[in-house]
Amino acid sequence: MDKLKTSLKNTDKNTTALFGIAVLIFVIMGILAPRSFLGIKNLQGMCVQFPEFGILAFGMMLAMISGGIDLSLVGIANFAGIVGAVLMIRMGGSNFSIVIGIAAAILVGALCGVFNGFLIGYLQIPAMLVTLGGLQLYTGLGLAITKGPAIIGLPPAFNLIANGTLLNIPVALFIFVIAAVVVSFLLKSTVYGQHVSFMGTNATAARYSGINNLKVTIYTYGLSGILGGIGGILMASHYNSAKSDYGSSYTLLTLLIVVLGGTNPDGGRGRVIGVTLSVIVLQLVSSAFNILRVNGFIKTFVWGIILLAIMIGTHFIEKNKQRS
Amino acid sequence: MNNKIKNVLTSNEMIVAYIIIGLSILIGCVNSAFFGVSTLVSLSRSMLVMLIFAVCEMVVIISGGIDVSFPAVACISLYATIRFMLASGIDSPLFAFAMAAVIGISFGAFNAFLICKMKIPPLIATLGVSSVANGGTLAFLGTKEISNIPEHVDKLSQIFIFTYTNAGGIKYSLTVLFLIPVIVCIGAYIILKYTMLGRGIYAIGGDKNAARIAGFNVTKIQFIIYMTVGCFAGIGGMTYMILMRQASPQVLMGSEMMVIAAVVMGGARITGGHGSVFGTILGVGLITLVQNNLIMLGVPTHFQTLVVGLIIVIGISITSLRAKKIANSAKV
Amino acid sequence: MEMNEVFLKLEGIKKSFGGVEALKGVDLEIKKGEIHCLAGENGCGKSTLIKVISGAHDATEGNIYIEGKKIEHLNPIDAIRLGIQVIYQDFAVFPNLTVAENIAMNRALMTGAKKMDWKKARELAVMAMEQIGAHMNPDILVERLSVANKQMVAICRAIINDAKLLILDEPTTALTAKEVDKLNIIIRRLKAKGIAIVIVNHKLDEIYGIADKLTILRNGENVANGGIEEFDRTRFIKDLTGRDIVETTYRPEKSTEEILRVERFTRNGAFEDVSFVLNKGDVLGITGLLGSGRSEIGDALFGLAPAESGKVFLNEKEISIKSIEDAMNHKIGYVPEDRLTQGLFLDRSIQDNTVAASISKYLIKGKLDHAKMYEVTKEWIKKIGCIAPSPNPDIRTLSGGNAQKMVIAKWLNTEPKLLVLNGPTVGVDVGSKSDIHMILHDLVKAGVGIIIISDDLSELIQNCNKIMIMKNGKASGMLEAATLNETELTHLLSGKKEDNNE
Repeated sequence: MDKLKTSLKNTDKNTTALFGIAVLIFVIMGILAPRSFLGIKNLQGMCVQFPEFGILAFGMMLAMISGGIDLSLVGIANFAGIVGAVLMIRMGGSNFSIVIGIAAAILVGALCGVFNGFLIGYLQIPAMLVTLGGLQLYTGLGLAITKGPAIIGLPPAFNLIANGTLLNIPVALFIFVIAAVVVSFLLKSTVYGQHVSFMGTNATAARYSGINNLKVTIYTYGLSGILGGIGGILMASHYNSAKSDYGSSYTLLTLLIVVLGGTNPDGGRGRVIGVTLSVIVLQLVSSAFNILRVNGFIKTFVWGIILLAIMIGTHFIEKNKQRS
Repeated sequence: MNNKIKNVLTSNEMIVAYIIIGLSILIGCVNSAFFGVSTLVSLSRSMLVMLIFAVCEMVVIISGGIDVSFPAVACISLYATIRFMLASGIDSPLFAFAMAAVIGISFGAFNAFLICKMKIPPLIATLGVSSVANGGTLAFLGTKEISNIPEHVDKLSQIFIFTYTNAGGIKYSLTVLFLIPVIVCIGAYIILKYTMLGRGIYAIGGDKNAARIAGFNVTKIQFIIYMTVGCFAGIGGMTYMILMRQASPQVLMGSEMMVIAAVVMGGARITGGHGSVFGTILGVGLITLVQNNLIMLGVPTHFQTLVVGLIIVIGISITSLRAKKIANSAKV
Repeated sequence: MEMNEVFLKLEGIKKSFGGVEALKGVDLEIKKGEIHCLAGENGCGKSTLIKVISGAHDATEGNIYIEGKKIEHLNPIDAIRLGIQVIYQDFAVFPNLTVAENIAMNRALMTGAKKMDWKKARELAVMAMEQIGAHMNPDILVERLSVANKQMVAICRAIINDAKLLILDEPTTALTAKEVDKLNIIIRRLKAKGIAIVIVNHKLDEIYGIADKLTILRNGENVANGGIEEFDRTRFIKDLTGRDIVETTYRPEKSTEEILRVERFTRNGAFEDVSFVLNKGDVLGITGLLGSGRSEIGDALFGLAPAESGKVFLNEKEISIKSIEDAMNHKIGYVPEDRLTQGLFLDRSIQDNTVAASISKYLIKGKLDHAKMYEVTKEWIKKIGCIAPSPNPDIRTLSGGNAQKMVIAKWLNTEPKLLVLNGPTVGVDVGSKSDIHMILHDLVKAGVGIIIISDDLSELIQNCNKIMIMKNGKASGMLEAATLNETELTHLLSGKKEDNNE
């Protein structure tokens, strides 16, 4: 009970606001369309959709906590997905080939991330520029492999990763939860997690406290790349194919999610719970719109409004704090 | 004096120029058809709209900000304008540009309000506005591509300032719309170099606080910047529509990344305070050249993105490393 | 021009911020052509006073007269129009613009110009530089200038705006001795033109070198006011701190147990052939002018900018320091020079700041123990005498002295064998300063090697038993603090004696 109390005390206003919004949507939709919204089909459907960009958002969050940004995630995801897909098909689609494909995708993600981290940490080029170029580069690498059209003919078993269920719960949701728990553990309970947030707060002071900024930067983007690779596997499995321009709206979407989740754009602070709630809220909004048969594009509009509203709200809260 | 020449020859702009020259010679060696008026005409046409956006983005970056909303603003401006014109039967090029500009300006003002008054970081603010503008267009204005553009507006695409017929009798014509980026470039150059407003933009990018102490009205200047960017996003969008002879509600989405890359390659520092019109023209030129003409080198289409990506990564690395070298060099 | 005319007169200036009185009735009179030094410890109200004079703050009470005329509400633009110019510590210059533009910018803005006149800017810049005898290429970007030249740009900018009163906020902190001399020449030139000059400084030696008049502020009041000749060292320090100085000096028993030995330490362009020994019980002071290599030795011992050659022995075992990791593995700690940017994570809690250098200590069974970090921080707060309610608040809420104590605690929490402190009491109030010195002496007793790098000579003489002077990257021999007084040390430092002999 005490633990619950402290954890409640620790939740910041942002998390509370997001949680409130999520509950509100549930209540409103529960009244408006109880059958379709709360039905198992819809709940399952939602849980299939959000893990892929939710996992990418964790990568974005790590980069942002470190004081940077990772605009190359979608590029990494597609490139990793393509490499995995090609391997699986070349190796004949056996279960073993699926394992190899997944491993290769994660490895590719890690390598791309480490390359980003090297340019950012060692050559000290602004993260935004590195990952902007990286997005183009990794997309290009993917395109060079596929030569344009999507790679199809993936093994059916692979398809189950994103689309299958276990005990009526989508497998993708399990993957998302595992990713959330791991990232949360990394941030809160490991030396790396503390170091990355120190570096994001003040890189100079971090160096003067004996933190190896280069190592932390490479780890961060490496991890972000691994999450990108996992996102790529989910996307390939979800669409049953791999292509270099899937999920092109995800870059901005993940940025939006991360900022909405209360991550400090200047670095230093960010929490898995905030980002998770923010992913869920966005999914609920779009799902609600689908059920109410509102034009699907409104959700982009509403996401923008929510982002700006939260930022404006934070501004006024900060202002009041300073005054008192 | 010698030093001065050396400085010019090793400046960022010149490095991009060398790359362009090198690449041109390479392409020209492989395919002699490259050296010709026709290439110049088609390149000019290809870089037309990107150049308008890039010069505006450069001004924002010089001031220490960033704007990722201009593609969405351009789309909503052109699409709302064309929908309104078709519905009301107005057919005037002037009106088309004016209305697109006004819509753009209002979004620019909104950006400036969020950044200056609400103190939201520029990347986040313009990202939100981008989402609102793009979502708004698709949800409320429609998703259809419109090709029945009012006659007088459409005609603009058929007015040429220059026509060249090659030996084979194929015509290459440079559209009159090319004058827009030319005017934007010259205007930006003059304002940035010879007005206090322009110097204020550099000053804010160099040290915002010092600019305030010196007596610049920082908020006013930022409003002017973002509103101007909005204005030219609208005009650029309209130009693109006329050039393509088709109005599409999200055709320009995603171009922000390439534009920012071009600006940075042209020597603008993402941290603000540095950048030149000439450099930006070269940056846009290089990217357009690669996109358009790699095929002449025998590089298959599906390798193009990769090559562009490589050039961006290398270009950005060189620019950043040079900035770092200057910062660490011996002081006088 | 009448030199004895009063330019600025302040009468009973009070200023409070939300009930806290920063200025409690300050009187001040500054004459034309006078060099007036303003001294006072941190938090005495110096900066508030400057902001009142420059119009940035409105005084709560009191009168301001400029050239005999009473000014009701002084705002920044009016202050500039009336000829008041402030040169802040960071100079507020634009690194990305040229020298000429930086100098001419304010003038153009004041006249409301719309166009940028490059030719005129260049002319103005050349003229201003001639006036103060500075030589810079007007077309060079300011980011390529040294600190001293950036300051020259700021001074040029001030004087072309018809400055009648020039306020320099701690102008010498980042200057080398030569540059200080040059600055003084320029200041005297300006004085000869009848410009009144206020210099904020608290180094007595520098004040003696330039000032006509001295005003000392303490707790928002001016406690002393008069010609520079009226102040001797004892009075100055008494007025500054409000206490009689008790010359406690640290004189440990001699020991031969060696903690640190450095042999022929060299890093090109920073220091060369530096050797010294630190025995148990010793506190070694390293001093020198800016750019003499004093800070660089600290940086090298901590692996920030490692030495290129030479040997280091810690507890008689040779160690190699090539990186910060090496230094930390050998239990060497470093309290950096700039607390705000290098020492603290301002937006983080006191707890985070305390454990920042020793996180891995709390990794228990693969998981960080946050509760233990909290307890440890609580203990340190108590042990080190930091005034803080709990480990939770952001460290930015602490005063300079308390924050510095926590920076030291951060390193003590790594259980160091050697602690190098670079400017340990800069910007720290008198009370915390002596607390910090006590802490250091306790550490020495516990067998920790302590090196203090500082330009505060009285601090060194009182708290170190050995002193080493750096000059152009070379070290003097080891001096016994007991045989030195401050005047001698000053002479040794600036090398004036030797220069005279040459």
